[in-house]
Order: sequence, then structure tokens, then C-alpha cells
Amino acid sequence: MSMVVANGLTHRFGPELALDRVDLVLDTGEHMAVLGDNGAGKTTLLRVLATALRPTSGRLEIAGLDAFRERRRLRHYIGYVAHNPGLYPALSAAENLEFFCDLQDASRSRVAEVLETLGLTSVAHRRASLLSRGMQQRLAIARAILHEPRLLIFDEPDASLDAEAAEVLGLVMKGRTAVIATHDHALANRLCPRTLVLRHGRSLGTATHLRVVR
Amino acid sequence: MNPFRAAIAVARKDLVSEWRTREMVPALAQFVVLALLIGNFGFQIDSRNAPSIAPGILWLALVFAGLIAFGRTFAAEREQSSLEAMLMTPASPVAIFAGKAIAASVLLILCEVVMLPALSLFFGTPFSGDLVIAVLLATIGMASLGCLFAAIVARVRARELLLPLLTLPLWIPFIVAGGQAVQSAMGLPGSYDQAIGLLIDFDILFVVLTSLAARFVLDE
Repeated sequence: MSMVVANGLTHRFGPELALDRVDLVLDTGEHMAVLGDNGAGKTTLLRVLATALRPTSGRLEIAGLDAFRERRRLRHYIGYVAHNPGLYPALSAAENLEFFCDLQDASRSRVAEVLETLGLTSVAHRRASLLSRGMQQRLAIARAILHEPRLLIFDEPDASLDAEAAEVLGLVMKGRTAVIATHDHALANRLCPRTLVLRHGRSLGTATHLRVVR
Repeated sequence: MNPFRAAIAVARKDLVSEWRTREMVPALAQFVVLALLIGNFGFQIDSRNAPSIAPGILWLALVFAGLIAFGRTFAAEREQSSLEAMLMTPASPVAIFAGKAIAASVLLILCEVVMLPALSLFFGTPFSGDLVIAVLLATIGMASLGCLFAAIVARVRARELLLPLLTLPLWIPFIVAGGQAVQSAMGLPGSYDQAIGLLIDFDILFVVLTSLAARFVLDE
């Protein structure tokens, strides 16, 4: 069964075409990497897939639901990690997650569980502002899986993560559909059997094995 | 998804953050005390003219403190890129907006806790329950409008300029009715009950309108 079906996704920021008729089908449990140079449209595509951004035109279905009509309902299914962790610096790691449990309608008992999964138990009571950038990124990933989403969308999650954290990424993606935008071709190869290459907002196609497209 | 749980969580998060960083309340409290002090030195205050001058100074200080307090509500979220994470949850944008407005109101009320006794101290005006009620009622409506416009302008660069330009005209009804209520509470002629009735009407009107608008402002 398809988790994501996108047809002709197009998005303009004013006169600038950020995404140009991108088609995409992603099966349940499938992992896909999105590659492309800076400004290729990776973040725009991911934000559209995460329903954070309504495309100028095109159609998107997630889990069989219209992504924009059923947006609020779909938020239960989607875990999104943006390039910037977007944490509350004055709150501790655990408090950040507890806050999002309340917004996600998830049980606060999940907090200890995801902190352990992401290797953050030892810093659970440390303020987010005092965590390293890599730990902040782990915390953002922890936040994204609090409500046990079916679809994970990661925008350059590896930007501040160490080699061990890449293993963690694989762990949280297990059993879930995932889309990752990255510049790291090796990581893309390791975590995702399928790759989509974007250039100037246009899809250059997907491949089951990564080849550098230039 | 329980909207009350979400609203309370947002308000609590903002208040805990403020308690730990103490970024706003001490500065705002100093600001309102200084504004009252300047007003006290700027006018020839005596027991006869104090009740007619003090309300004006009070509303001026309150309006500018409110602009600062409400302006920060969404600007901080945008700066730390946390607003999108919050909006990506199933929580209703109206609940998120309500939580932000509640927290901003509490911060402004904390300033009022400093400001109202200071007003009595500097101007020798009576400090009464009527005065407190008038200011609190005005704070509710001002908070809902202030937070809505703060959410709108948070994404633009000239937000510090735009926020007063958009907000102040719509705060005028609160300043007029609130001013009248405060003057009555200080012993000047005028119907206190009528002014309070107007404040309640404005509160209901603007809380409903801003809640409806918040969905569209925050949803995209």
C-alpha cells in the first residue's frame, strides 16, 4: 500500500519556482533519500510532504487521505524534523518532550522511552540551550517520534549528528516510512534503498541505487 | 485532541520559560514604574488634578508595556524556529493562540501588580478593587488583539514598527472605556458600570473575533 502519493507538486515563492511538477509514490515502510544541491527544492518538498506548506498546485495523498483537507488529522501520522531543531532553550530536554506530548495528545510516559532510544537519558534534565548541537538534533528527532508516527520526514538530520547518531536514525526509521533530505550520499545509501534527485525544483528521477547525477 | 490541554500546555511553557529567563517581566515592571515616575515629574500633580491625569499616564504605560509583552509572544517562537514544530502537532491553532494570549496576559498582569500600587504612590490616587477590575478587563481584550497582530507581524522584518501601527487603532475602544472606568474609580464623574459593561462587550467581541482569525493566521 502507498503511504505517499504526490502528483505534480508545484510550489512558487513569488516569481521563483521552488518545486516543479514533482511526482512521487512511496510505499508503506519504504525509505527514500532526497538529494540535490542547495536551493534544489529539498526543503520545500519536505515541508509540502509534512503538510507544513500548501503547494501552489498538485495533489498529495498521505495514508490514503487528502493531505491538505485532512491536514490536522494527518499530523498524528507525521513526524517532521526541520533543519533547525526548534527547541525551547529554557526548558530541559524532558520538559521539551513533555510539552509536545501535551500537544500531540501522547502519554508523558513516552518521554523516558524516546529519551532512551535517542541516548539522551543522561541529559534529560539539562536545559536545551546547554545541549550540544548534535544533542539538540537528537532531541528534535525524539520529539518527532513521540506520537509514534507512521511517516518520518527529516530535513538534513545528519547535519550535526555523529556517526553513532546515524545508527540511531536507522533505528527510529525502522518500521516506518521515511523521507530524508541530505547532502551525505553515503548516509543516503546506508539508510535508504531509494533516492530522489532534485535540481532547480524538478525531479531528475528516482533510483533504487544511488548514482551521482550531474 | 483536547484544546484546553493544549492551551494550558502552551501557556505553562511560556510562563516557565519566562520564570527561568526573566527576560520580560523585570524589564516591563521597571518600564512602567519609570513611565509613572516621568509622568509624576512631567506634570504639576496635586490632589485636585491627580485623578484626571493619572488615568492617562496609566493607559500610556500600559499600552506600551502591552506592545512589548505581546510583540515578544510570537517573535521569540519565530526566532528559535519553534512555532513550526508547535503548529506541526494536531493541536488546534486556536488552542495554541489562546495559550500564548493567556501567558502574555499573565505577564502583563504581573506588570500591573507593580504598576497600580506605584500609581497610587506617585499620584496619590485611590487604589481600589474597581480600578483593578477595569484594568484587568481591558487586559483581556488587549491581549487577544495584541497576540493576533503579533502572530501576523512575527514573520516580517519590520515587526516592531508594524505591531503598534496595527494594534493601537484597535486598542482605542479599550483605552476609551477603560479610561472612563478608571476615572470613575478614582472619583471623577462618569458611569463606572456603563464603562465596565462596554469593556466586557469589547472583550467578548474581540476574543471571539481573534479566535476565529487565529486559525487562518497560524495555519499556514
